[in-house]
Amino acid sequence: MRNGPLGTVALAAVLVLVGCGSAAGPESSPDGGNKLVVWDWKSGDPAAAAYVEEAKTDFARKHPDVTVEFVAQPFDQYYTLLGAAIQAGKGPDVMLFNGGGQLRDRVDALVPLDDHVAEDRDRLSGWDAFTEDGRTYAAPVTLQGHPIYYNEELYERAGLDPDRPPATWNEFVSGCTTIREKTGATCFALGNKEGIGIQFFLSGLGSGALTDQEYDDWIAGPRNWTSPNMRRLFQLWTDTDGAGLNNEGANSTAMFNDSFALFSSGKAAHVIGLMSDVGHWKDFGEFLDPGDVGVMRAPVITAGATPSLPYDGGIGYAVARWTADPHLAADLVRSLTSRDALAAFHTGAGAIAADTAIDVSEAGPAAAAIVSEIESGEPALHVALSSTTLDLMGRLSQQLLSGSVTVEEALSQLAASDEGG
Amino acid sequence: MPLAGTPSSVRSDPAARTVRVPTGRGARPGARAGARRAEYLAPYALVAPAVLVIVVLRLYPLVLGVNFSFTGDGELDGTAVGLDNYVTLFGDPLFLGALRNVGLLVLLLPVAVAIPGLLATFIHLRVPGHRLFRGVYFFPAVLSPVIVGAIFNLLLAFDGPVNAVLDTVDLGPVDWLGDPDVAIFAVVGVHVWATFGMALVVFLAGFSTLDPSLLDAARIDGAPLPRIIWHVIIPGLSRTIQFVVVTTMIGMLTSMFGLLYVMTSGGPGGATYLPEYYIWIQQGQMSRPALASAASTVLFLVMVVVGLLQISVLRRSGRAE
Repeated sequence: MRNGPLGTVALAAVLVLVGCGSAAGPESSPDGGNKLVVWDWKSGDPAAAAYVEEAKTDFARKHPDVTVEFVAQPFDQYYTLLGAAIQAGKGPDVMLFNGGGQLRDRVDALVPLDDHVAEDRDRLSGWDAFTEDGRTYAAPVTLQGHPIYYNEELYERAGLDPDRPPATWNEFVSGCTTIREKTGATCFALGNKEGIGIQFFLSGLGSGALTDQEYDDWIAGPRNWTSPNMRRLFQLWTDTDGAGLNNEGANSTAMFNDSFALFSSGKAAHVIGLMSDVGHWKDFGEFLDPGDVGVMRAPVITAGATPSLPYDGGIGYAVARWTADPHLAADLVRSLTSRDALAAFHTGAGAIAADTAIDVSEAGPAAAAIVSEIESGEPALHVALSSTTLDLMGRLSQQLLSGSVTVEEALSQLAASDEGG
Repeated sequence: MPLAGTPSSVRSDPAARTVRVPTGRGARPGARAGARRAEYLAPYALVAPAVLVIVVLRLYPLVLGVNFSFTGDGELDGTAVGLDNYVTLFGDPLFLGALRNVGLLVLLLPVAVAIPGLLATFIHLRVPGHRLFRGVYFFPAVLSPVIVGAIFNLLLAFDGPVNAVLDTVDLGPVDWLGDPDVAIFAVVGVHVWATFGMALVVFLAGFSTLDPSLLDAARIDGAPLPRIIWHVIIPGLSRTIQFVVVTTMIGMLTSMFGLLYVMTSGGPGGATYLPEYYIWIQQGQMSRPALASAASTVLFLVMVVVGLLQISVLRRSGRAE
């Protein structure tokens, strides 16, 4: 059968219309208010299934007529996708954020939650990482921090007392030398391929290097990048690598999860890891005996410094500016941070939850040691920095290790970026 | 595009006209005029979908993107900032480093073209096992860059097998992906390894058009292999070489993101940044979409230059034909 020309025109028109239709944007959340869309990178993880279920149940008790849809995005692409949604001014009603720069860079797109979460303020910790200019934009789910983990079995083999980890930097370095001689393990497992090893180093050791006043000033800003103690910390970053305290090829070793694997396999005695999610006590306890995973405070580098656990709110849920009913969305955030839900998250995913009253006694000595330090803990140094400065710091840290920039140059570039950002 | 010629050729097709004349009734003059008008419009209607798709899905977003690059980020979102983003861009050593790496890719282009050319020559000259090599060489072309990157991450790791082999001959370990002077060459090398199979196939197709009597004559005259390559094969394959040069260049400029992402994340110290990686970081990680648009515009202009070179090369080879 042959079509006449008019038939061809009609067919072409249909094709064009179909083509235009397929070019339309993704479906946005309805404004009706009877459905809430949540974006995160957690809900697809089986370890978080019980948590999501608890949160949904809690929310359904308060709002039985509202459905909640969780959309799990890949973490690698998460902020790219979120950036596109923010640019378009439509997208999820509730979304998950990492604390610190990732949230602070995007507060224009978020609803301040202070009035909605007032009742939870004392129960949960870690609010600072979700606060900008005195307003809170997300409620914390987990706490994230940078404990220094050590392998107690290597300490024992080297003839060191695993119950008394080194308290000063000099003791720490000499202990590492002994461990190297007796066991062949390096001092640190360091992965700086992504340029985030420096963040862990800065925050993990910072409380041992800065005085209390310097520490508080750093968090409050403006920051003094060229103070002698900060310079010493960056010099140590370069020197520890030069002295062979790190595994070789730190710049080409991925932190996730090659450097953590070095620690888990007993090839390194220490690693500055995380408290929640990955690279933490639970991961290490799967390879090492959980009883051999020790947690120590930062060794004192500067006399008079008070070492403390560096931690902040890890991840938290925020409410989008474009949501139809901010009250409703904020209620969902409250359900997502309810005690039952957070307890399920701790059990399932091995996270240190923002509600520190949750019982962690089942999780082993390392988790208990971390939780006992939370009360005296301080915000991590790197979380106070903007993502632009963090990105620059990552690149400079790699250049410091490869010797293509000096500590002075790096610090002056970082100071300029921090001031500008 | 021979648009103007199409309607006349449609009208002059007697068979088509015969079919369209209504049977059983006399053809009325009004109906014939209508049919003629429809016939005249038909070619435009036929190209309309393609044109509309290009205009709506390509050109319009492009214009929006360029326009967006003149607005600000963050607090200045939506505000016109003139050329500020471009000033920022060309003051950013990271972006300039990315452009320098583009220049480096251009310099490495002859190597990327010579490798498949040389291997295709050997296959064409039927070295022992040439059938096997033909398949083996093409194999990496079917792997995704992420898989290739992951494989070479393992091979090139500091404590990986490549360094283990080097160690046995006392060449010491090389930090392939962690040394800023080496990493970009490692990534480009892997890209060439992963993609040369396609160029090889193009070269083999080119060889099939080569007059075998020329090769035979050169052999009978006792010419050694390098002279055969230089005086017979290269002149005979000039059009194929031009085509491979252009496609390899475009591949290098636009398809290395996956490898960079997996192998080096742009590092160490930004040494392996390319513009597309920079765009992705600014948009996704730094939340600066307008700056990313400006970088995209610059990359687009670079690609326009490459594209125009492509057209001129193809035109020239068209004339040679």
